[in-house]
Amino acid sequence: MTRSASGWLTNHKGIVAGVGVPVLVLAWWLFRPEKLWINKQVNEPPPFAANSVPQPLYTGLLAGKAHPTSGRASIYQTPDGKRYLRLTDFTTSNGPDVHVLLARSDDQNLTQELVKSDLDGVELGSLKANQGDQNYDLPDAVDLEKYDAVVVYCERFHVVFGLASLERF
Amino acid sequence: MVREIKFAVGVAALVVAFGLGSSVYAQGNTKQEDNAKALETGTFHGKVHQTSGRATIYQEQDGRLVLRLTHFKTSNGPDVHVILIAAKDADDDANFLKSDVERVELDKLKGNEGDQNYDIPAGTDLSKFRTVSIYCERFNANFGAAPLQKF
Repeated sequence: MTRSASGWLTNHKGIVAGVGVPVLVLAWWLFRPEKLWINKQVNEPPPFAANSVPQPLYTGLLAGKAHPTSGRASIYQTPDGKRYLRLTDFTTSNGPDVHVLLARSDDQNLTQELVKSDLDGVELGSLKANQGDQNYDLPDAVDLEKYDAVVVYCERFHVVFGLASLERF
Repeated sequence: MVREIKFAVGVAALVVAFGLGSSVYAQGNTKQEDNAKALETGTFHGKVHQTSGRATIYQEQDGRLVLRLTHFKTSNGPDVHVILIAAKDADDDANFLKSDVERVELDKLKGNEGDQNYDIPAGTDLSKFRTVSIYCERFNANFGAAPLQKF
């Protein structure tokens, strides 16, 4: 059977080629396997003037921990290189001695509502208000690859009000 | 009557003293008035075809909407398009033809890596189309999806 089948194939090379080649071409067109190795890189400019106004570098959504907290935390950079944190659509509960900190998102202290040991963080200032848009200047040397979380934190009782992990904008 | 007033004043004083129910409201400004405004943003997830990066929708001063992809990376493939879908998010292996999800076509994917912009048709309701998808039209395969949230 195999012998006669291969014999048939050799005797009808024209038919085999006439069917096989279009099938291969169709399969290539459908799957374009070469694209597995070929990347197409583009680099379009943003649809706005990027050098005249502050640009967001990082952003993340705030989630409540011990107290309901919501809104967006974004780090902006001004054209002259200064960086600041901006909270938008922000709301948390009002409380005593509440501060805004940058911390490390992998800090085990932040998995609980109450911080037991010292929190490795960068102090940005007392929370200006428990609702509304607000800005906090960042110290010049903060490494945002390391301190990649924003924490709304009650210093007096070591309570984490809310937390946002920052991702590149 | 006087006693009631005294009582009310007392309660009010207590409320003020303990800060109950009082809120402080701040309004810092962005200094971004004369520029395109970021309305929505989200990050891509996609495991079947590794997809990552950020999708942001900007509104230009004249009102036009533009989708911009940044830090973007997906696998190259045949007939890949950028679409908006009327859903909060999409599964990594979603088939929008089967699930009959309403969608808005933006364009063919310009490149599988890098920053890129896509015009959004006028009149697209962003409260309905909440997810950006990188979508292979030929095989109805979702390469990656970015659920959008207000920026």
